[in-house]
Amino acid sequence: MTPLHHATLGVDGTYPLLLGLWLLPLLGAVLCWTFGPQLKAAAGWLATGFLGCSFAATVLSWPAGTQLIGGAHGAHQALLSWLPGLDFGLLLDPLSLLWALVITGVGFLIHLYSIGYMHGDRAFARFFAYMNFFVFAMLTLVLSDNFIGLLVGWGLVGLASYFLIGFWFERPSAVAAARKAFVLNVVGDVGIMAAVFIIVAHVGSIGFGDVFAASPGFGTGVLFAICGLLFVGAAAKSAQIPLHTWLPDAMEGPTPVSALIHAATMVTAGVYLIARCAPLWSASPNAQLLVGSIGAATALAGALLGMVQWDIKRILAYSTMSQIGYMIMGVGVGAYDGGVAHFLTHAFFKAQLFLGSGLIIHALANEQDVRRMGGLRSKMPFAFVAMATGVVAICGVPGFSGYFSKDRVIYGTLEHGHPWLFGVAVVTAGITAYYMFRMLFVTFMGEYRGDVDHVHLPDWTMNLPVGILIVPTIGIGWLMFGGDASPWNRFFAGQFASGAPVTQPAISEGLTTWIVLAVVAAGIGIAYLRYGTATASADAPARLEREAASVPPVLANAFYFDAIIDALFVRTSQGLGRFLGQTADPLLVDGAVRETALSAGWLGALTRSFQTGLVRAYALVLVAGAACLIAYYALAPGAFR
Amino acid sequence: MIENALPVAIGNYVGLSAVLFFIGLTGVLIRRNPLVMLMSIELMFNAANLLFLAFARAWVHNAGHIFAFLVITVAAAEAAIGLAIVVAVFRDAPFVDVDEVRLLKG
Repeated sequence: MTPLHHATLGVDGTYPLLLGLWLLPLLGAVLCWTFGPQLKAAAGWLATGFLGCSFAATVLSWPAGTQLIGGAHGAHQALLSWLPGLDFGLLLDPLSLLWALVITGVGFLIHLYSIGYMHGDRAFARFFAYMNFFVFAMLTLVLSDNFIGLLVGWGLVGLASYFLIGFWFERPSAVAAARKAFVLNVVGDVGIMAAVFIIVAHVGSIGFGDVFAASPGFGTGVLFAICGLLFVGAAAKSAQIPLHTWLPDAMEGPTPVSALIHAATMVTAGVYLIARCAPLWSASPNAQLLVGSIGAATALAGALLGMVQWDIKRILAYSTMSQIGYMIMGVGVGAYDGGVAHFLTHAFFKAQLFLGSGLIIHALANEQDVRRMGGLRSKMPFAFVAMATGVVAICGVPGFSGYFSKDRVIYGTLEHGHPWLFGVAVVTAGITAYYMFRMLFVTFMGEYRGDVDHVHLPDWTMNLPVGILIVPTIGIGWLMFGGDASPWNRFFAGQFASGAPVTQPAISEGLTTWIVLAVVAAGIGIAYLRYGTATASADAPARLEREAASVPPVLANAFYFDAIIDALFVRTSQGLGRFLGQTADPLLVDGAVRETALSAGWLGALTRSFQTGLVRAYALVLVAGAACLIAYYALAPGAFR
Repeated sequence: MIENALPVAIGNYVGLSAVLFFIGLTGVLIRRNPLVMLMSIELMFNAANLLFLAFARAWVHNAGHIFAFLVITVAAAEAAIGLAIVVAVFRDAPFVDVDEVRLLKG
């Protein structure tokens, strides 16, 4: 097993820059929140500036994060010691460095983009306060060197996500979506909390290093319980079946939020968790099978649902769910470097796609339905280029980033002995190609079908981040080119020692690549024939309406997950609540209180009737009492001895 | 030592005392004028005093005398307080009737 960084460094490691890059976004959030009314439009620049500094600090930390100390890579900063074994600290190793770079880097670009996108919103400063707070929470999550710190970050990103989904809280649908996301995420938080309980009970420590060092001593059952409960958290955060239903609804938030939180960073926290706990997963084949299967199911389900969506952001949301399914499948079966690689490329191309769609939505006065788009290629050539590169990258066209990372995941399933997952992954790749190109063709080809006369072209703060993101969307994958000698593998040397291939697949990596490419080409071809050709776009409005009407009900209802969850949990909770509120509470609680009060009143009325206020009546009672007393002593045997 | 210092049999004193006491008791219970009630109470005190003194003489024991003084003192205090209450209560009232004073009725 890999020796773990901070375990060897101990809790007294110091790397103060880590504190800076961690706390700067929090400072930005506090400033934006406190001085929002005074800052006005400057709030955006302030928040972006703080995040830019944080990103610069992260880049400067690269040498520290990859340095070799005591047989392990990374830097550590102790924070505080709570109880014996419960030490809190920040850990920067290649894995958390990668995540921190994406969070601050992509986050910086999306903040810059938001300055243009949110321009004129009456809660401009509040938006940036939330965004900076989210970055802080996410950094807490990935930089923690222990499970409780991770859980704190886990909860805080859920809170930030709740704030931002419900940012336009005057819309009831946004409030409902925010609440749904929060509730489902709390289900996951509880799972992780339970896992932490088991860990503390067995190890007596929460540090990653201590836990992984002790993990060989766990029984199979305990290990599976820990992994399973951790995965409940991962599934909720990363929108895996059956806890995925919040993600499509989360598109109610502003588009930059969708790009940053619900595509690039927060939803990949589950991938991070599993990659971080690689030693646990590698030791538990049952957990690997469970997580790999759920990842594959999610990838397939997301892709199938992506085929029948008309809202451009919902298409992207389902594709996010599907792509995270790939990542979870990768890290789940043990191909950690593949899953993490797909996280990296996905962070870029999905942020790019969301920001690109934001350009369109912004330009068309908040129109999100692709049926009322079309022909935008000539009106918005830059958005077309941005979206096209993103689509090509997500489909895995050779040379673009998605190709390299998806290839690693797909081949990784074979290398770790899961041919069924390989099959699902290949089919999903084809469906992905189909629905992404469908979106591209419907949006940009043919004639414009909407009713917006003047296309409102975005300013440079929106175009620049998208332009910058095109570069990694195309090129970042080349880091993963070259097998063991690639920069990617050298960066993660030693991090994922437990993720070595377990079998030699029957087919070579080259052959699997060709299979995937053939399926992807087929998907693109079908999409082209259905939406891209001149005949297809001739009577597009009528045809798209017809198609929307003939969606199979099982897909239109998203496999009935909402209905099932509603019936199983929401209805039963509501029923229980109604029973308790309308029957049990009035009967038992209210009843007990009321009866106590009533009986006190009744008793009072009884004793009150004796208090006549008549002096002579009292005197009579007195005399009667005295008479009784005297009679007793006079008549009792032995009285007057 | 004189066995019986009383010229009259003790039973007569006891009988007189009982009659006085019940006259007083009846007065307290049936009269509605507070002054008459106080006077009736005095009568009951004195019935008790008579008994104390009779037995003190009969048994040649001074405790009875002492108790008689105590009762007189208590009776004086009672009369003072009782009259004060009567004056306070009936200062503003157009009547002198304890049955009309029912402020403590529950």
